[in-house]
Amino acid sequence: MAIANGVSTVTDHTDTESSSTVSTTTRPEVRNVSEVSLSSTAQTADSLDDSAPTVYDIEDLGVYYGDFRAVRDATLTIRQHEITAFIGPSGCGKTTVLRCLNRMNDFIDTARVEGTVLYHGVDLYDPKVNSTEVRRRIGMVFQKPNPFPKSIYDNVAYGPRIGGMKKKSELDGVVEKALRGAALWDEVHNRLDASGMSLSGGQQQRLCIARAIAVDPEVILMDEPCSSLDPIATSRIEELMQEIKRDYTIVIVTHNMQQAARVSDRTAFFITEINKESDRRTGVLVEFNPTEKIFSNPDDERTEQYVTGRFG
Amino acid sequence: MELNVPEEEAHGDLRRGFHHELDDIRDDIAKLGAIVTENIPRATDILLNQDLDGAEKLILGDDEIDVAALALEERCYSLIALQAPVASDLRKVVAAMRIIAEVERSADLTTNLCKAARRIYGHPLNPAIRGIIQKMGDQATKLFKEATESYLAGDATRAAAIDDMDSYLDDLQREFMRTIFESHDAAKSSIDLQVAVQLAVVARFFERIGDHAVNIGERTQYLVTGWVRESLGAARHASRQAAGESE
Repeated sequence: MAIANGVSTVTDHTDTESSSTVSTTTRPEVRNVSEVSLSSTAQTADSLDDSAPTVYDIEDLGVYYGDFRAVRDATLTIRQHEITAFIGPSGCGKTTVLRCLNRMNDFIDTARVEGTVLYHGVDLYDPKVNSTEVRRRIGMVFQKPNPFPKSIYDNVAYGPRIGGMKKKSELDGVVEKALRGAALWDEVHNRLDASGMSLSGGQQQRLCIARAIAVDPEVILMDEPCSSLDPIATSRIEELMQEIKRDYTIVIVTHNMQQAARVSDRTAFFITEINKESDRRTGVLVEFNPTEKIFSNPDDERTEQYVTGRFG
Repeated sequence: MELNVPEEEAHGDLRRGFHHELDDIRDDIAKLGAIVTENIPRATDILLNQDLDGAEKLILGDDEIDVAALALEERCYSLIALQAPVASDLRKVVAAMRIIAEVERSADLTTNLCKAARRIYGHPLNPAIRGIIQKMGDQATKLFKEATESYLAGDATRAAAIDDMDSYLDDLQREFMRTIFESHDAAKSSIDLQVAVQLAVVARFFERIGDHAVNIGERTQYLVTGWVRESLGAARHASRQAAGESE
């Protein structure tokens, strides 16, 4: 209000001064800045909602391969309908942490997890939890596009069929919806019988995203999804991520810092800690903050050095 | 052959060329700031001595400052376009662009002082007025030197002190205005109205140079800490809004 009052005082003053000469002039009403809509498309730290529902609560996560500790003391919260990026140099444990989020590490016999990974409050590593159900709810897209050597249609219908869906009409609907969701439908709708392998790399990756979302997951984990794609295909995937985050929660591991800056809402930065005696490397989470903060004024000096290229 | 790279940078800096260019831009802006710092006492002398030749020289010299400022701005744009700076690197580029504008504008103000000197040519100034012009010139010079040096050194503490130094310049401006009125009013009326108006504008030019120095100080604080003074106003606005909503 004070601003508006101040402005109107000035206006009144000029009006009285000019009234004797040009009393009929109507001047545009002076408006308070806040009444003028200033468009802001950029996601800023302030616009992130810290009260958004939590999907993952990760506390003191440690991951071992045998007696080798790959990651220690990772604590972070992943929120619904946000894109969370993991960045850091090779060997910093970012992919290892990502693989903990849908129990992909189960496939490695020697892998062991310490600390807690709560998924909607449920301990993901509770023996009673069904890991197949976990992977249905939490989909994954890998570095290299890996379509099955089947038709485009069958690639997408694979998950729903395993889930028990049999009716052709129902499957057709799911396949179309998933392909549209992955922004691939327009390019392939007239050749759904063609092999998934016949598509370009970028299309294959979008096919994999369509396959992931066909089972209606809640979370999509992406492990460097664009590292084998050209810049145009990369832009398409990044654009797609922005579109689908309304419906999903996304966690992405990326080597491309600019990609993390472009697409993510929050960023976790990991580094590799080297034990000089044993030469063993352990990943450590250094900083977890809104992406805008990480790339403008990070809290930790090591983050600053990494994002500005002052150490590798 | 040894590369001329400071030791702490020799290890691990993956973007050495980029970071050197950032440093070079800062150094070149500081050089430009040093030129302006020297021009303030020159313009003050020109004003006091009614030195028309000096005025001409300083006014012509401003075009060179414009050329340098433009070139520096272009270098900043290149870094943004080609290097995608982030975090402190980004703050350095953004602060540089803002500070270039402050330096360039201050240089313009020294030419304005020279133009005022031309307009009051032939009208003698009384000792009271001369004394305050000298003081304002000295203080504006001091402020600009401090701003330039704290930017070059990346010294946020020194930069923060410039605002306080500026209040003395503001006091001088007020004192000067009083003196102008008195000189104009006095029975013997030592200065006529036209000169009085020109002098009032001169006071304003010095005061503006001080404000630009304060801005440079603020941008220096921003580049070191990420803090901007406008955030104070934003916080006040937010609390007023919150108070308004709760009513």
